Amino acid sequence: MSILASLIRNEFEKTWRSRWIVFAVLFGLFLLIAVGLYAYFVYREHRWTPPPSVAWQAQLRDEIASNQQTIVNLEQVKQQAQGQGGTVRVGGRNGPGLSIDDAIAQTQQAIADDQYLIDHNIAPVQSFAVAQASLFALGGIVMFLLTRIFGWLASEQIAGERSDRTITILLSRPPSRNQVLFAKAFASFLISLVVVLLALVIIYAMFAFFLGSPGSLTDQAAVAMDGAKPLGPGNLLQMPIYLFVFMCIGAAMLGVLCVQGMSLLISVVTGRWAAIGITLALLFGAPLVSTVVAGILFLISGSLGSAHFLNYLFFNVLAPVGSVAPAFGNSTAAAGSGINEFTFELETLAVWTFGFFLAAWLLFRRKQEAG
Amino acid sequence: MASVVEVERLSKHFGRVHALNQISFDVQEGEVLGFLGPNGAGKTTTIRILLGLLHGDGGTAKIGGHDCWTDHVRASRFFGATLEQPGFYGFLSGRDNLRQFARMLGPVDEKQITELLDTVGMTERGDDKVKRYSMGMRQRLALAQALLGKPRLLVLDEPTNGLDPNGIHGLRILLRKLATEQGLTIFFSSHLLSEVEELCDRVVVLHRGEVKASGPLSELMNVKGFRYRIDVSDVDKALEVVRAVDGAKAEPGTIKDSINVTADTDIARLVNYALVKAGIGVDQLVRSEQGLEDVYIQLTGVPVASPLSSPVPPAPPVPPVAPR
Repeated sequence: MSILASLIRNEFEKTWRSRWIVFAVLFGLFLLIAVGLYAYFVYREHRWTPPPSVAWQAQLRDEIASNQQTIVNLEQVKQQAQGQGGTVRVGGRNGPGLSIDDAIAQTQQAIADDQYLIDHNIAPVQSFAVAQASLFALGGIVMFLLTRIFGWLASEQIAGERSDRTITILLSRPPSRNQVLFAKAFASFLISLVVVLLALVIIYAMFAFFLGSPGSLTDQAAVAMDGAKPLGPGNLLQMPIYLFVFMCIGAAMLGVLCVQGMSLLISVVTGRWAAIGITLALLFGAPLVSTVVAGILFLISGSLGSAHFLNYLFFNVLAPVGSVAPAFGNSTAAAGSGINEFTFELETLAVWTFGFFLAAWLLFRRKQEAG
Repeated sequence: MASVVEVERLSKHFGRVHALNQISFDVQEGEVLGFLGPNGAGKTTTIRILLGLLHGDGGTAKIGGHDCWTDHVRASRFFGATLEQPGFYGFLSGRDNLRQFARMLGPVDEKQITELLDTVGMTERGDDKVKRYSMGMRQRLALAQALLGKPRLLVLDEPTNGLDPNGIHGLRILLRKLATEQGLTIFFSSHLLSEVEELCDRVVVLHRGEVKASGPLSELMNVKGFRYRIDVSDVDKALEVVRAVDGAKAEPGTIKDSINVTADTDIARLVNYALVKAGIGVDQLVRSEQGLEDVYIQLTGVPVASPLSSPVPPAPPVPPVAPR
């Protein structure tokens, strides 16, 4: 046990001493995001200080009013389009676009959902500052960026030792290969957990500021089981908000673990630059290709669901939190939303993660270092 | 004495290349064994198998009675090792590198790390980052790393690479001291035959994946005949004359206007007589003991540290000269 702890400590020291500048840049990036959010807040709210706190019921009523206005606007656009003999599509969050009738129906559904929550005194998950921060920090662009950086760092774990020729010392000393691999994987995971939590805390502080209150951490919150269907008794999951946050952190870290497993597998069989290159090409290139494929499938079939099978690919579900509530431009390929989709993505990730680590372990314990 | 290293019919191939072909040898406790062979002979492959970095395709390799691959954890407690071109974390200091590797053995002994840096002459540069080290300094640090945890066996693969003459001299003294004062067993691979000759009790000569010879140095060097260096006035003519002497083998010497002659029996007088009779001036004829270098060349057919890699062309046929 003490040897394992020493190995983990070694990994912390090596990562910090060789890559401290990456963490410094990351911290700077978080601050930049916070400043950006604040600038947006000032621009939108025309104020520098936090606004007075608003009850979630009032928020939903505002949202209903806003959606009703949207419907009025959409109807006008529809009539103008019909007068000119053409059709109009409006941009959709998760796909190439919606017909104007579908957009109106979707907005009407949103109004009905909000009204259901008000009528039954159920707070939507987005009404909590900490939940909004979780969705933003753990489900969107921040996690997209972080998973790539963690992938890069993990891809150097074994491959870097091989390129530096330190692997000969590492593997000829008493710790077993299993211990070496476990220490590297565990240290990588802990480091990424700290970074993710730091990002969450900074973004939570910003959202608490924007909403005028840190909000409750113990109240019950509700999430749709299937975001495409009307809210109702069979389509709503209620849980304490802290549990929701833990769920989001767990899901985000499973995505990170999956990337680290993949990177470690690549790292076991290649040198440093090959490992970094393959890892980053996969993490940046594959989602891009997948998006193009999803677009082509949509054009052919006219249905967003036709590309859903792409979510069986791990690189499309690395930030499953984004599927809990489709907020802040989650880019998952043709994803649905709600707990059902979230669970599906978690299961997919779990299978890939297990597979990656198993393959990395099997290869590493038999890998010959011929020099 | 017990065997610390036991290699039995060990084979290894990479694709179609047979790197090792059923080699067998052992290293006795407390001895200094030289592991010799030209490039590609299989020395580093053997050492990598001993260190648990590779596994053999056949046969066994054991250290301290433990299989180097299947029981690596136990085997590795016996030795410290340096490989050719040692690698370190360039962003850490030499001292921090030693701390990293010391943690793999148990609690870090700061006193031992300081002593080891002093032993290898790195006290002043120990806190500098390794990326600023020269090759020689890395070799010294590699030796310090190998000595961490006070191993019973030291496995050194080309440890003099990159060392200057002073460094080589210092290493020789240090290794001899470790062997005699601490009873350390040393398994020493090198191209520098003079080092092996001075340091080792026994040698194993490897060539093309096979053990060509093994045994005490004294035995290897005594059974291989006589060697002469003759300074002459006309090298070409002298070669022609000496090659005609029964049992003599001659080749141009490395010193100007000299030839080297080897023979199984003492033919000094015969050769001298033939040269003088042919009208060739003989400035001096020096009889020398067979060195390890000669044994090595005879066993492997590879010239040692030849400045030119091209093979020596075969000597032209010489008509026999009848002795008078």
